[in-house]
Amino acid sequence: MGQNFFEIEDVTFKASNINKVNNVTLKIKNEGDIICLLGPSGIGKTTILRTIAGLEKVNSGSISLKNKIISSKNIHVEPENRNISLSFQDNCLFPHYSVLQNIEFGASRNKKSKKLLNSREIIKFLHLDHIVDKFPHQISSGEAQRVSLARSLLSKPDLLLLDEPLSNVDQSFKEEIQVKLKKILTELKITTIIVTHDSYEAFYLGTKCGIILDGQLKQYDDPYNVYHFPNSVEVVNFLNRGILIPAKVTGENSLENEDLGTIKGNFIKHYPKGSNVKLLLQPEDLEHDDKSNLKLEVVDRKFRGTNFIYTLKTLSNLLIPVFVHSHHIHQHEVDEKFGIKRPIHIDHIVCF
Amino acid sequence: MISFVVAIPIVTVFSSFFETTSNYSYILKDTFLYDYIFNSILLLAGVLILTFLIGVGCAYIVSFYKFPAVNFFKWSLILSFAVPAYIYAYSLTAFFENYGTAFSILKGVFGEKDYNSLIPKFDGMIGAIISISFSLFGYVYVLTRASFHYQSQNLIDLGKNLGFSKKKSFFKIILPSARPAIVAGLSLVAMETLSDFGSVSFFGVSTLTTGIYNAWTSFDDLALANRLSFYLLIFILGLFILENLSRKKAQYHTPVKENIKSKPLVLLTGYKSFLAFSFCFFIFLISFLFPVLQMLYWTIIFPKHFMDLNIIKLLFNTILLVVLSSLVLIFLAFVSNYGSRVSKSKLLEILTTFSISGYAIPGVILAVAFISFISWFDNNIVSLLEIKTIKPIFIGSILGLVFVYFIRFYSLACNGIKSGYLKINYSIDESSYLLGYSKLKTFTNIHLPYLKNSVLLIGILISIEIIKELPITLIMRPFNFETFATTAYIYASQDLLEAAAAPSLFLIAIASFFILVTSRYILKD
Amino acid sequence: MKKVSLFITAFLALFIGFVGISKANEVNIFSARHYDSDIQLYQKFTEKTGIKVNVVSGKDKALQKRITEEGKDCVADLYITADAGRLGAFQAKGMFQRGASSKAIKAVVPKNFRTAYWTGIAKRARIIYYSPDRVSDSDLRGMSYEDLADPKWKGKVVIRKSNNVYNQSLVASLISNNGKKATAEWAKGVVANMARDSKGNDRAQILAVAAGEADLAVANTYYLALMLSGKKGPEQQAAAKKVKPFFPNQDNRGTHMNISGGGILKHAPNKANAIKLLEFLLTKEAQQHIVNNTFEYPMIDGVRPHKLVVQMGLDFKQDLKTKVSSYGRKQADALEVMLAAKWK
Repeated sequence: MGQNFFEIEDVTFKASNINKVNNVTLKIKNEGDIICLLGPSGIGKTTILRTIAGLEKVNSGSISLKNKIISSKNIHVEPENRNISLSFQDNCLFPHYSVLQNIEFGASRNKKSKKLLNSREIIKFLHLDHIVDKFPHQISSGEAQRVSLARSLLSKPDLLLLDEPLSNVDQSFKEEIQVKLKKILTELKITTIIVTHDSYEAFYLGTKCGIILDGQLKQYDDPYNVYHFPNSVEVVNFLNRGILIPAKVTGENSLENEDLGTIKGNFIKHYPKGSNVKLLLQPEDLEHDDKSNLKLEVVDRKFRGTNFIYTLKTLSNLLIPVFVHSHHIHQHEVDEKFGIKRPIHIDHIVCF
Repeated sequence: MISFVVAIPIVTVFSSFFETTSNYSYILKDTFLYDYIFNSILLLAGVLILTFLIGVGCAYIVSFYKFPAVNFFKWSLILSFAVPAYIYAYSLTAFFENYGTAFSILKGVFGEKDYNSLIPKFDGMIGAIISISFSLFGYVYVLTRASFHYQSQNLIDLGKNLGFSKKKSFFKIILPSARPAIVAGLSLVAMETLSDFGSVSFFGVSTLTTGIYNAWTSFDDLALANRLSFYLLIFILGLFILENLSRKKAQYHTPVKENIKSKPLVLLTGYKSFLAFSFCFFIFLISFLFPVLQMLYWTIIFPKHFMDLNIIKLLFNTILLVVLSSLVLIFLAFVSNYGSRVSKSKLLEILTTFSISGYAIPGVILAVAFISFISWFDNNIVSLLEIKTIKPIFIGSILGLVFVYFIRFYSLACNGIKSGYLKINYSIDESSYLLGYSKLKTFTNIHLPYLKNSVLLIGILISIEIIKELPITLIMRPFNFETFATTAYIYASQDLLEAAAAPSLFLIAIASFFILVTSRYILKD
Repeated sequence: MKKVSLFITAFLALFIGFVGISKANEVNIFSARHYDSDIQLYQKFTEKTGIKVNVVSGKDKALQKRITEEGKDCVADLYITADAGRLGAFQAKGMFQRGASSKAIKAVVPKNFRTAYWTGIAKRARIIYYSPDRVSDSDLRGMSYEDLADPKWKGKVVIRKSNNVYNQSLVASLISNNGKKATAEWAKGVVANMARDSKGNDRAQILAVAAGEADLAVANTYYLALMLSGKKGPEQQAAAKKVKPFFPNQDNRGTHMNISGGGILKHAPNKANAIKLLEFLLTKEAQQHIVNNTFEYPMIDGVRPHKLVVQMGLDFKQDLKTKVSSYGRKQADALEVMLAAKWK
């Protein structure tokens, strides 16, 4: 055991044979770190949280919190004695208690410990003032999620587990709550593991992100690195942020693609000259230039408020996404030609 | 443990299956065995048909139509639960017998004449079918009504959309979609019918249940009793499976509460309204008013019997049994349900399912089997321990009585609590653990307050059953201990039906009171 | 957890409180005979002797089963029931002990109505009732139970079901006198003569004759008196007047008699008290109380039956030849012949 605050050592998480995540090793170094677990639904993220919380048992490996083993083949600390709080995705509010009673239900564990939070603050904080006297069946699912979150926060656990905490929260609130959540978790130094399928949420909230795919923890790294340096094709596909195009390594820092021509940049990994690779091309890698002689046909345009994402078709029928700021003076319609600035330069080249 | 206790009678029933048969069974085999089976089937068929027609008919009318006093009928039709079949049988006999109440009424209205041949005689098999049907149709009525209530308006609209006539809608849409509820109701009726003892023995109808009782008590012919029990159990098992199947299906049918639009009720006018009113009133009259009035009439014309009744003591005894038994039942039902919930063990769940079979065994057989078991246990096991004896503790004591009630009604309590628990999502428990609440604290802080209402409801349902319960109380009770039910029965068995009227009336009154308290819940769920 | 265990303890305490802990001066009765008048007698007994009387009443078979199963631990002292056959059968199972015929009892109860194990408390006769409108005296002259099978009564007889114990005792007495084979033939004849399938109790048979459904009914004596007394209401009083009693077999052995009686149970913890109670029930005072309330015949001499019973006639010949104690032994045969005759 090292000096890590929380550690999962070679644990296989299993709820059923389909829902299985093998041999996970994951460490949270500091108290107050926020970890986000990303992955497609049905992959077993929830099982991981349930196991950490002690609702499922562990058959191999060990889980330890504050240098104390809480789950292993032989040790199983009961969930109520772990001081780990889990906020379920389908909120589990106690139906016979009011919202306020539900929230305060969480506080009762920590009567003696220093009150870092009081319920009134947290209610205000999560915009729950208007519903405190209502009962769970009278509120919306987004509100219920916030109540559940409040209840978990108030219990001031050593480790907070959030399962899709904001999936039902209105879009308009979501960002605000994300900001507040991050602030409160950081201020209170509550170590948190968040399970989400929203990569933006994960990238924003997480000090680290774990990508779970095909029954494995594929990548566990800073959000920046996960995004920019995905360690496998699967991660790229999952994040769905760019495409992989065939290219040939032509030198120390150049590649050649038959449609786009020469692409320059720094390889993050060495490939011998002449080898055929798949290059990760992300929307922000290409720049628009009307004057360029590299013209591609527009097949689709998505307006995303602050930007457009054009989908361009190359001669060999590759579909390439390109990111353009929306204050760009003129717009390109579908079927028009779209110029790409050359030479193409990519900061760091990720190939597989 | 609980399951084991409940399994006692079943084990006893089968324990000596291959014992030699006495002379009685040879006589019996030739002549009466088929009679028993035939009578049981006939009784069952008659009761099922009648309860189906009455129960579904009433439920349909009060659920889909609006006519004078419909809201009154909605709950008053449940009052039939308060009248046990044997008291209904007393009333039926008293009213229709030669020179009975009907005769008096006709004489009073039309003058002296011989009306006896004009008055239909409801006795024997027909009397038993009528008595049982009118005291049990409530099961079908309540369940079917609930199903109609939650039936989606969309379905009915769909029928209209397809151009179905009202009749076609009823038979093609409304009835089939309520089928699980109807089947569930009918199988409850069937179980109660097969285990009925009071009214069939009063009418002298020999069914499997009375056959078992006779073989067991008068001829000590365990082997025969067991063989008959075996047939009965097969019957009941079939019903049990049917009921379980239908209940499973019924779950799929349960719609989300929020989605229920209140159905627009069809306002009946003219003769149709009168017909609907008459039908409901007729059923209410026959099922509840008739026995009550007959008993009231007797109490009034024979006030001496009423004066002789030690009402306070009977009331105290009845309430004592009710309170003790409901507390024990609910407490243990909680323990076992909570146990199987926490441990999530499949084995425990199967045992729980097994332990509810006590309900299917007729009370009279249960009581005799229990006595046999205790004496066997005492003779073979307790005597080894050189303790004096445990018999007086269990036989002829309140404890023993509560014990057998427990075996009989455990399924009622257990299923009631279980269905309450099904409504609590399991992750609610987990949330509570995760907030640092121990299992016991979760129970007291979450389960108990949440299940408060359903526990109350179950408690009252058990109470109604125990107030009406006869054979177990009769056989197991201690010295000088009478309840309203046993008093009524004993008078009736001495051909003193008029003296049985007052205790019967009190019994009905208490049961009605309980029903009225719960009718709000019964009608809702 | 504390609360739970407290709860359980309280419960157990409550139960144990209700477990009957037997007190010294008492007598425990299992009674299949339940008249309020009996209870009043027991109260009188307690007043006189200070012995407390505890009663469980119920169906006789269930009570017997309970006594048998509880065996030596059964706290009951006295088993009281109607019908000598039941008492005899229970005696045959070895469930009674000697003592029911104490000196005092022997002195008052005729030999025919007691054994060493049990004694009669009151008598009744099982007789024929007829409609004087439809049946003439000459039809009845010299009639016996045996004549109920006579084809001339085809479609005119009503009688209870074969499972009724009074019928079983009656048929048992016929078997004693005429043999099983002859009685089997007789049963077939009776079934052929029935006006309808057997149903209802004794009173219903009498009412059937009153209502014209049948001409002859077989029932116990006290039922008619009960109806005549008006305790069953004016209609039944009037109906009872349409029916006359007939005491059969006057030319030979006499009318079939039966008793209600009691015996001292084998493991009776309060045997002396039980004997005292039996003796008390056979005193003039108690007998008078019984006959006035139940319309039975007294067990002892010197007590006059209820006047309605007297009206029915007292000077009939009782069958004292056929011992009531023999009914029990023959009841199984009786049931067998009735069932064989398809007697419902």
